[in-house]
Amino acid sequence: MSAPAAIELEGLSKSFGRVEIIRDVTLAIAKGERHAIIGPNGAGKSTLFNLITGKYHPTDGRVRLNGEAVDQLKPYEINRRGLSRSFQITNIFPRMSVFENIRCGLLWAMEYKYSFWHLVDRQPDLTRRTEEILSEINMSDKRDTLAGVLTYAEQRALEIGITIAGGADIIMLDEPTAGMSASETEYIVGLIRKVTESKTLVVVEHDMGVVFDLADRISVLVYGEIIASDTPENVRASAAVQEAYLGTALEEEA
Amino acid sequence: MSDALRPLAPWGVAALVLAVLPFIFASGAALTVMNQMAITIIFALAYNMLLGQGGMLSFGHAVYMGLGGFFCVHLMNWVEYDNLWLPLPLLPLFGGLFGLFFAMIVGTFSTRRAGTVFAMISLGVGELIAACSIIVVAFFGGEEGVSGDRTMGPTVFGLDFASQQEVYYLSAIWLMISAAAMYLYSRTPAGRMANAVRDNEERAEFLGYSQRKVRFMSFCASGFFAGIAGALFAINFEILTEENLNLATSGSVLLITFLGGAGFFIGPIIGAIVFTLLQTVLSLYTEIWQLYLGILFVATVMFFPSGLTGLIAIHFRPYHLGKISVLTKPYALIALPALGLALASASVLEIAFHARHAALGDEQMSLFGLSFNSHHPLPLIAALALGALCIWLLRRQLPSFREAWDEANYAGGPS
Amino acid sequence: MSLVLVNLLDGLVTGLLLFMLCSGLTLIFSMMGVLNFAHASFYMLGAYFGYQISTYVGFWPALLIAPVIVGVAGALVERYGLRRVHKFGHVPELIFTFGLALLIEEVVQFFWGKSQMAFEEPEILKFAAFSIAGNAFPAYKVFMIFIAVGIFLVLLYILTRTRVGLIIQAALSYPETVQNLGHNVPLVFMGVFGVGTALAGLAGVIAGPVLGTFPGMAVVLGTIVFVTIVVGGLGSLWGALAASLLIGWLQTFAASYNVTMRDVLLTLGLTEPADLATSALRDLWTLTLPQIGPILPYLLMVLVLAFRPQGLFGKRET
Repeated sequence: MSAPAAIELEGLSKSFGRVEIIRDVTLAIAKGERHAIIGPNGAGKSTLFNLITGKYHPTDGRVRLNGEAVDQLKPYEINRRGLSRSFQITNIFPRMSVFENIRCGLLWAMEYKYSFWHLVDRQPDLTRRTEEILSEINMSDKRDTLAGVLTYAEQRALEIGITIAGGADIIMLDEPTAGMSASETEYIVGLIRKVTESKTLVVVEHDMGVVFDLADRISVLVYGEIIASDTPENVRASAAVQEAYLGTALEEEA
Repeated sequence: MSDALRPLAPWGVAALVLAVLPFIFASGAALTVMNQMAITIIFALAYNMLLGQGGMLSFGHAVYMGLGGFFCVHLMNWVEYDNLWLPLPLLPLFGGLFGLFFAMIVGTFSTRRAGTVFAMISLGVGELIAACSIIVVAFFGGEEGVSGDRTMGPTVFGLDFASQQEVYYLSAIWLMISAAAMYLYSRTPAGRMANAVRDNEERAEFLGYSQRKVRFMSFCASGFFAGIAGALFAINFEILTEENLNLATSGSVLLITFLGGAGFFIGPIIGAIVFTLLQTVLSLYTEIWQLYLGILFVATVMFFPSGLTGLIAIHFRPYHLGKISVLTKPYALIALPALGLALASASVLEIAFHARHAALGDEQMSLFGLSFNSHHPLPLIAALALGALCIWLLRRQLPSFREAWDEANYAGGPS
Repeated sequence: MSLVLVNLLDGLVTGLLLFMLCSGLTLIFSMMGVLNFAHASFYMLGAYFGYQISTYVGFWPALLIAPVIVGVAGALVERYGLRRVHKFGHVPELIFTFGLALLIEEVVQFFWGKSQMAFEEPEILKFAAFSIAGNAFPAYKVFMIFIAVGIFLVLLYILTRTRVGLIIQAALSYPETVQNLGHNVPLVFMGVFGVGTALAGLAGVIAGPVLGTFPGMAVVLGTIVFVTIVVGGLGSLWGALAASLLIGWLQTFAASYNVTMRDVLLTLGLTEPADLATSALRDLWTLTLPQIGPILPYLLMVLVLAFRPQGLFGKRET
């Protein structure tokens, strides 16, 4: 392999007290791949997410981003290396307008950093880019609405907008369709497909339809261990996965 | 008016008002109050960079204003005795830099977290420095503080700042500069991210920003402008004491900012004006004015957490809907009993206070132009009865008032 | 040596008094996430109520009645004030308790004026319990130690041996999950707030005669109390105990040893500047330990925050 993987996990473990939530996870996600992580409730999907994005530091093992070890870095340092994430529980700036939410997502990436000598309203490039993203997520007409008063589905779309705004190469979405109706889910999946074009996508998802629709590769996490990591077809066919997880998941859906 | 100039209009009006005020209120006492107001506005605006913009509650912000002020008194003395060449109008800049310097030191460890921990650290550091002021006599002057003379510097355009009016204009100019600078700061990436970190520090971190550094920057900027306020205090009063550093001063700026409305840029300005006026007027008429302020403050926190500005702001919607007139009559109907209730409550407090604390044998008191015996039960009963009557009237008006309020905020036609 | 013993005992009195305030404050903070800025004001109310009641029925009934009234007042404040503000978030809660502290100070001055009350220890305890090398140790201080230790033991018993104690312990360890326990959480909150403020009130009654009953007594002790729980580690009861005793002894010892900075500096081999009266360093040379005493707790806090941000016993990063 010539180019390093976008995300590489090596022997990753995480314990809280005596409870080991993530056990010796090793996984490589190639550049441009759409990777889904599935697993039953409590399998440690969100913890794995938080380990990769720097919210938690691992007890053992390594996280590499494009070949560089990042497991001891802070979330903002990881973000600056080109990884952006969304949250399972909607995580936006409720007291700011939709426009300002997106703009906050752009500031660092557009090199404004901690500047106190640029006026944000007087930067044509910043305003233009914000408006482009607004139209990409079809929210131009909500431009001046306070984010806190949007509908749930709109807030989720806004969250995806904030996440991709900075132009990160690796996008990680934590249950982007949780709590949505069928039509809303369809809409969001289309949106995700559109805005993550040619990027590396990692998504945690419960909705099997979404997963098999969106992903190039699927990892199945059960009790903190990855029991399979393969194409959707092979995962669906795998007996081990059937036994450990999919069977029950499909039963639940039925 | 063209669109480009529209945002400048409030600033132009403010500058005009500041320029004209001394011609309307020319007395020395009025000038003193206005100078005090200008200083308080700058300090409260600086404080709100923390509380309102950055979500940091400080119980020790007087320290940065006080340190800036103490430093400037020393500068004035060096100008007077040690031939330091420094024109007075530039003094606030140095006060600001001194405040900034200390904010940078304290900020390195106090901005790690927001909320309760930040509040406790600010309290501890504030008390530490206030307590030091008694010990470090060389800088703080001990119990009697340090004093100076502002008129000893080189004259600027023939001004030596001996008159109150000259000091007023100096304060007014620094007020305009500081307020504009603080407003502009709130429109920069650092200022916007201060809001973002206030609302959701986790999200801000995942957008590339260190919450600690964002808070640190707000803290330093706030310390700078607090220092400017301190310098103007030094110029105006020519003396600084432990009082400029202690918890009471830190607490009153919190009170001012919150009363005015921490969520709005203009909130601290309104708070400072109202508070200074209340303080000046109330303290003339009653000994227990601080009790009234305390009640007002607690009531604000409980019932109107967005402050006076918030109370004004909730009328914008009816105004834009063209329905503000719907509220005229209900307001008029509750105005009288509300005023009556306020007067009755104040009377009860005043009578009780006089009955308890007046000198032995002094049983006569006068209140609202009436003179009576405070030890006699009748006046107290009359005040209580008036209060009860007003409460009864208010309760009767309440349903129709609420109805009118909903109607005024309803976007459709008459519902 | 005997002076050390006297100071140890005096520091113990101060430390245990601090702990009576810190324990209630810590319990309230751990359960409800709100730091009660007005906690020392309830301590002051305890002293004033104690004084007022003692003028009618004497000290001993006052010792029982005053804390109960303070506790009821505290519970009412929680029910009708804090609970209302709670939905706005922690910062407004803290501002509310700060406003309450201001208000209580004004209310106290409204009723009792600005001067110190003639609140004295009961006649029966006005004798020297024993003396150490000529230093008489008043019986009242022995009584204070017994009360404080007694309170501590009762708290310990409640926390480790009763059902309510288990709920509180669970809340201390896992603040987020207390909501899910299925107990009547609002009632528990009101109870904890009431008991916490009653403890502060009790501390006020027994401290009033010794430390003085005046409108500034809340501010004097209040800031030290906050420093203490930050030093001990927010939310840690053992930390609060350790920090209370540490600060109690620190202040007592600093006040009674007249070490001058001049001696220290001379010992370090520095020479005294000739122009001491005008030197910028004159304060450094004339400092004495009793002068620095009052700021030692704050210095300790800054040091702890710089080197151990979670506090001495805190588990959570602050």
